Amino acid sequence: MTERLLVPLTPDASAARARTWGWWYYAEHFLLQMRRYGSVIVVSAIGEPLIYLLAMGLGLAAVIDGGQSTVDGVSYIVFLAPALLASSALMTAATEFTYPVMGGFKWQRVYFGPQAGPMQPWQIAAGQVAAVALRFLAQSVLFYVVMLFFGVAPSPWAWLQIISAVLGGLAVGLPLMAYASSITQDKGQFALVQRFIIMPLFLFSGTFYPLTNLPVALQWIGWISPQWHAAQLGRIASYGMQEPWTLTVLRVLYLVALAVLGWWLVWRQFTLRLGWIQGTPDRDARVVTPRAGWKRTRGAGRRREGTEPEPATRPQGRISEPIPPMPQITVRTGPFAGMYAGNIRAVLERGFLALKTNNWAVFASGFVEPVLYLLSMGIGLGAMIGAVEGPAGPMSYPAFIAPALLAVSAMNGAIYDSTWNVFFKMRHSKIYRIMLNTSMGPMDVALGEIGMALFRGAVYSTGFLAIMAVMGHLTSPWALLMLPAAVLIAFAFASVGMAITSYMTKFQQMDWIMVVLMPMFLFSATFFPLSVYPEQIQWVIQALPLWHGVELLRQLSVGVFTAGTLVHVLYFVVMVIGGMAFASARLKALFLR
Amino acid sequence: MHTPSVHLSSTARPAGQTPVISARGLTKRYGDFEAVRGIDFEVPPGEAFGLLGPNGAGKSTTMRMIGGVSQRTAGELRIMGLDPETHGPEVRARLGVVPQQDNLDEELTVRDNLMVYGRYFGLPRSYLRPKAQQLLEFAQLTEKADAQVEGLSGGMKRRLVIARSLVNEPQVLLLDEPTTGLDPQARHILWDRLFRLKEQGTTLILTTHYMDEAEQLCDRLIVVDQGQIMAEGSPAQLIREHSSREVVELRFGTERNAQVAAELEALRGSERLPASLVDRVEPLPDRVLLYTPSGEDVLTAVSALGHHPITSLVRRSSLEDVFLTLTGRSLID
Repeated sequence: MTERLLVPLTPDASAARARTWGWWYYAEHFLLQMRRYGSVIVVSAIGEPLIYLLAMGLGLAAVIDGGQSTVDGVSYIVFLAPALLASSALMTAATEFTYPVMGGFKWQRVYFGPQAGPMQPWQIAAGQVAAVALRFLAQSVLFYVVMLFFGVAPSPWAWLQIISAVLGGLAVGLPLMAYASSITQDKGQFALVQRFIIMPLFLFSGTFYPLTNLPVALQWIGWISPQWHAAQLGRIASYGMQEPWTLTVLRVLYLVALAVLGWWLVWRQFTLRLGWIQGTPDRDARVVTPRAGWKRTRGAGRRREGTEPEPATRPQGRISEPIPPMPQITVRTGPFAGMYAGNIRAVLERGFLALKTNNWAVFASGFVEPVLYLLSMGIGLGAMIGAVEGPAGPMSYPAFIAPALLAVSAMNGAIYDSTWNVFFKMRHSKIYRIMLNTSMGPMDVALGEIGMALFRGAVYSTGFLAIMAVMGHLTSPWALLMLPAAVLIAFAFASVGMAITSYMTKFQQMDWIMVVLMPMFLFSATFFPLSVYPEQIQWVIQALPLWHGVELLRQLSVGVFTAGTLVHVLYFVVMVIGGMAFASARLKALFLR
Repeated sequence: MHTPSVHLSSTARPAGQTPVISARGLTKRYGDFEAVRGIDFEVPPGEAFGLLGPNGAGKSTTMRMIGGVSQRTAGELRIMGLDPETHGPEVRARLGVVPQQDNLDEELTVRDNLMVYGRYFGLPRSYLRPKAQQLLEFAQLTEKADAQVEGLSGGMKRRLVIARSLVNEPQVLLLDEPTTGLDPQARHILWDRLFRLKEQGTTLILTTHYMDEAEQLCDRLIVVDQGQIMAEGSPAQLIREHSSREVVELRFGTERNAQVAAELEALRGSERLPASLVDRVEPLPDRVLLYTPSGEDVLTAVSALGHHPITSLVRRSSLEDVFLTLTGRSLID
């Protein structure tokens, strides 16, 4: 070091600043982190409202009572927009208050950096909350601008919904953050939170239809859902929805109460996990009565100073069976030598073993999401939409969307396995590198992993079919063909998904997959027939794979076969072959250079 | 068992200089497991002070209590006269911390990691910009300044963590196993950097598993085992007090080592192998160690007894011998 830079602050001044502004220093850090994936944030902040308003606002409006009717005295899109604005904060809360918390405490341990500095534990939490609240704000403002552009926010007070949306996001986010900060072991809890808390809160909260469309058995979810209250507040601001003022006040109080309670829990969790509550005796020293099967063994039963030297011959003493001679390891020759060793089984075995040690609930509940959609949209929207024109004439709305949702769930399951899981194994746990260090080839790995994705897809599809049967939407025996068809769809998405994932190097890039999937889902004729779109858009939709899946399953569900059926099947066969070739070539390029 | 109370008798402390760190009866319990069992020590300003001990000895726990991020169960602890329990921010504003496990923000660039960390101390950007540059040079990371941390090698990350800990020019630097996992080059660079800091008057507190590192860096150290202080002193002092001058290593083959060792032990103290020549015989599975003031004389005596080792080695006694003598050879965790 040439010259010595003098620190402009004494340690005491530094501590005093941190006592006041520490929370903001961590907010700065969190905002800087967000800037890393800023492009995804901006694209989805503008793109999501655009796509939702176009797809749902215009598409659904066209099928609701023939496009004539109004909801709550205003056009459907005016009714829908404020709730969508509120839900975008909800969805952001579900990611920003979960995974980064886990990263802070466990994965990257980012919180332990500031912990060693002069700030206090709760300030780290406060910084993250402040930064995410800023994101809510920016996102809501962008959404609001899009609404103005569409002319769907008539009231002069409509901007107030920006505030109610931020409040709604905090009312969900802070309790969620408290939960996330109490987790010490990652067992896929966030996937369960997403499926069993966030999705129901979103889907049964009168976003797409008035909450009263639902039977009381489902309506209560809306009553407790911050999303419903935030959406209703938004509607009051946006188009002057009528309701008693006491109810409005209650909604605000409810959201504030949730946020305050959540913050108190967050404060406590962070303080206890990164420090301690001053003036209390050391919590670590408390003797906990050991639960069955769980015991703190550190230091217990430890021998020292040569009291019992370890016998050098111990390992041999433990093996009771004689070891048979090692069989010859065969190496394939021929056209695919080096690519394929005929050992997919080993990859599958590992996959099932990993499933066994993972959280089974996470795996088994994978088909919950489409079921929730089916319940919410089928019942809630079905109340406003009469019959829809299907492949074999008019059909009820739930029966119309059920096969489409099965296609969507087959796609989602396959994509999840072949993108997130594959990404993790490729970049983080390096499982593929280990596998390819053995006699296995890249084709074995690709096929094995895709096999796992198919297994998952088949399990989910079976679960969903069972629910459809229970709800009485399985009317034709041909409908059973939907199972193999769903597996074919999963196969196609899994193989292409894996190939694309091989290009990803950072977690944030994975968000782009969502940016692509979301519009494909909304523009896939899942919730309304293709005919509601102008012709040019119809062509685009027909080129996309999900539409083929939706149409294929919809045809099978009523047992109608046309030339189109064959085209749909062929589309996926081509996807499978192309994706497989691509994926194994990529694996080879990545690991066998 | 009561803690052997070790005080600063061995190190002459300039009169009137208050210790940077003083611990009295410092205790940490996790449930009924006592990680730190009432240890006493003081560190005067400018000293390089080492905490040695096997895994689970309580070194990191002690470091975390000094760092003001872990609550003590009992005892007294003062960092520059302040109690970390009540003055956490004030204490931590004076410290630099290099944790055992890197906790860099891997999504940020190397430079941003330094800047962000400086902001935690409320330092203005006008200071942090040039300071970050200086620290990058110090850590030899100038070329990587705008690279993302994720792609750095282990050694680079470690250097960055150390650079980061210096952003507030700490009066005391806590280093928890600073060189574990580094290659020899990186270790030597790091030692050099730590020496320079010491020259500037920074107090260094470090834990390590590497005895050569402790010998290189520490003015004074304590050997901790099972939460207690086993010995205290300068490296040279400890070797003098707890080991012989030289060690002879003899290999007779795995089958014969134990047998030969037993024979030598039986003869120790007799005329042919006087106790003044061999302090101690230690049989190990792969070799026999003889602690002695004179290795050559032992070799002569052993071959006069008719034992002919496959290989033999005479070496100076090291801190490692002291460590193993004090904390035992069996695996701990």
